[in-house]
Amino acid sequence: MDILKQLKTLAEQVEVASLRTESTTVEFEANKLKTSKVEATSGLAVRVIREGKLGFAASSDERALDKLSANVLESAAYGDPVPLDFPAPQPPPQVITYDDKITDLSIPKLVEMGQAILSHILEVEPEVRVNISLERGISEITVRNHTGAEAFVKRSPLSISMQVDRIEGDDIVILFEMTGTTVWEADFMALARQIGEKLRLARRLTNIKSGKMPVLFSPSGALVLGLPLMLGINGKNVYTGISPLRDKMSQQLFDKKISLVDDATLDGRYGSAPYDDEGMPHQRNVVIDKGQLNLFLYDLKTAALGGAKSTGNGGRSLFSPPEPAPSNLILEAGDTPLKDMLAGIEHGLLVEDVLGLGQGNIISGAFSNPLSLAYKIEKGEIVGRVKNASIAGNVYELLKEVSAVSQEQQWVYNNFNLPYILLPAMNVVAQEVG
Amino acid sequence: MKDKIEQALKHSKADYTEIRLEEREATQVAFRGKDLETTSASIDQGGIVRCLSRKHGWGVTTFNNLDDLLSKVDQAYQCALVAQSEEPIELAEANPVQDHVTVKLERDFRDISMAEKKALAEKHNQIMRGYSEKIIDTRSMYADSFSRIILATSEGSYLEVERPSVAVVNIAIAREGDNVQTAYKTKAGPFGFEFVQDEEKIAKEAARRAVELLSAQSVKGGQYTVVANPELAGVFIHEAFGHMSESDFIYENPKAREMMVPGRRFGSEILNVYDDGTIPGLRGSQRYDDEGTPAQRVELIKDGILVGRMHSRETAAKMGEKATGNARAINYRHPPIVRMTNTAIAAGSTSFEDMIKDIKLGIYACDAYGGNTALENFSFSSGYAYMIRDGKIAEMVKDVILAGNLFSTMMNIDAIGDDFEWIYSAGGCGKGNQSPLPVAFGSPHIRIQKVVIGGE
Repeated sequence: MDILKQLKTLAEQVEVASLRTESTTVEFEANKLKTSKVEATSGLAVRVIREGKLGFAASSDERALDKLSANVLESAAYGDPVPLDFPAPQPPPQVITYDDKITDLSIPKLVEMGQAILSHILEVEPEVRVNISLERGISEITVRNHTGAEAFVKRSPLSISMQVDRIEGDDIVILFEMTGTTVWEADFMALARQIGEKLRLARRLTNIKSGKMPVLFSPSGALVLGLPLMLGINGKNVYTGISPLRDKMSQQLFDKKISLVDDATLDGRYGSAPYDDEGMPHQRNVVIDKGQLNLFLYDLKTAALGGAKSTGNGGRSLFSPPEPAPSNLILEAGDTPLKDMLAGIEHGLLVEDVLGLGQGNIISGAFSNPLSLAYKIEKGEIVGRVKNASIAGNVYELLKEVSAVSQEQQWVYNNFNLPYILLPAMNVVAQEVG
Repeated sequence: MKDKIEQALKHSKADYTEIRLEEREATQVAFRGKDLETTSASIDQGGIVRCLSRKHGWGVTTFNNLDDLLSKVDQAYQCALVAQSEEPIELAEANPVQDHVTVKLERDFRDISMAEKKALAEKHNQIMRGYSEKIIDTRSMYADSFSRIILATSEGSYLEVERPSVAVVNIAIAREGDNVQTAYKTKAGPFGFEFVQDEEKIAKEAARRAVELLSAQSVKGGQYTVVANPELAGVFIHEAFGHMSESDFIYENPKAREMMVPGRRFGSEILNVYDDGTIPGLRGSQRYDDEGTPAQRVELIKDGILVGRMHSRETAAKMGEKATGNARAINYRHPPIVRMTNTAIAAGSTSFEDMIKDIKLGIYACDAYGGNTALENFSFSSGYAYMIRDGKIAEMVKDVILAGNLFSTMMNIDAIGDDFEWIYSAGGCGKGNQSPLPVAFGSPHIRIQKVVIGGE
């Protein structure tokens, strides 16, 4: 029995999403290969619009179709009217998201990669505890609806994450790195070299005094600024009125050096795909153009409610209905080489990572975080790691004036491509000793 | 099913094999602002096989299709052979258990119509929206789930366990100009529908607090004496201390072992901390953990001294101690790892009035909006807070974020209240990609000297 056909006779509109993933993971714990894992998941999620009202239900038991149908109709019976139209068939952009070189990676090959990463880190710093996880898989989603549209996306995600703990007496350094791709990248060691370099720089400890100073955010540190923006441009937060950007369309809100793009059409990136999870073709969305607000990100439902158009940003997991979600978020590179940015800093701070990233009332733009990895810069040189200090501010104020954005960019946390960003004066609070 | 499971266990070539199957039915109704966001029902069914090859390591398979357990066992065993542990992995001794744990719900939410669940969430939502024109967005959610779990091991344990959960979550967002403030209030527990009925007061409280926060000034950064309310103190002890008492953090890490050495003084004599999975009706309680070890009370800090820690069978064997019933998994997609159940700071003897009366300038920090730790460093945002001036609670302040070093902060706890309470909040704990695991925490008010509060 085809559940789409069956429900079409009972509702005006029907959407059936079929999700299937298979993945293989090897996990190193405390420098040893401890676990390997094979995971398979599959399920169906169904939405209907019946008498104008939206219903949703999902099941990982693909034989329980009768119950799934009954659930989705009950959900629609109590649902709210939504002026939503599931999309008609549309051609997708060409995007590469699948690579046999990834799906063919055997468990022994994943183990070998993990060991190479581990050896490199231990060579730099023998006394650390390293956890590494390497996961490769196949993920497929097919979204079909009553119009005859059928959007099929097949991806081969490969994700490598590592955490390194160095404990010396009561001094603790924790480094975390994560990278993801859907096409094979031969230089999988790049991340290990980077973490090695951070460990080297973190050896020397130094102190910093509280005060206003230039602060340079590395690509991973720049997430402190990026996460509040990510919430602010989400169509749902705009529709509900909690985004500080809700009534600022077309205004010049930020420094001209700031341009933010959501782009799922890049070949091989972790968040790339020809269609979103509602069967809408993906597109390149320029969200902030040289400091000017240009666009919010929408899924079908939020767009329908907010009188906007879907930007191809419907994201879902099996048991949750679609929501607006960024794909790959890119803060465009600037024109200053990193070395020039560093050289111009007389006395300042380089922020690599903070504790409690994304915590607190960040939708307002405000953040306040202790620094978990940061270095003091003196006369253009990194002179040592800073402990027991914190930064606070509001991105909507801070990004009005940006001293420089680097030419260099880096992918961090799978979906973000960020440059180094230099802010002219930020408040840094250092804890009094004792 | 039992025959199929036992056959698969018998078929396994591993030193230890564990099969856990789960069937979960859940419903959810969520309002956002004026709109009904979701009414959904889900059916989740799946399983996990975990095999141990002592000389190698663990192999795990997870799946939705339960037809072919034999091949899943083979696959997990093959995975186990790939691992390369240096020393053989042992498991602490366990008595095989056979049990069938059923629950009796006063009003079983599986028999309650979607209409009634929707009406409940809608009522909470209307209370928040009607509270003030400044409330510009709300989220009001009702959620329930009922899991049936079968756990069987090659050592002869066979458990069938039912785990219910019901929750209401209210979030109110208030705005005045560009000032946007959020407050939330939740209630959750392993009960039936009755547990969340007639609880409109929590919707009102969320709305009231969001509006109040609009007129609060940002706190001035600096070092303060802080009085934490039971919810914040509970979250603190869970996040900052509890996670370091989970032995998977310690057992293969000599340096962490030194840091968490039994006998080390962690606080003054008034400080007592424990984890207890046996207390009926708390969110973290369970008769057995996901390795089949019975739940128990684990003393962690006694009179200020570190005396115990939480274990799975593997960490217990490695450290020559006993399993404590703390090996937990959020669902069949994950193997069990060492987790807390219900974690608490035991009651002390100081009244709230005595606690604040000598504080010239301090902060009364309430509830937690989020917390994060990196070993000995922590950072927590409180949900709302007040200044304490000359021994009295004064004006409300916002953006209060407590940060510091665990060891010195715990040593600086110098008063513990006589007003202990367990917190029945929704949400839960996240660790190792397994979130949210239902846990509870409890504490009385506590006073901490010299806390660094971030701020501009």
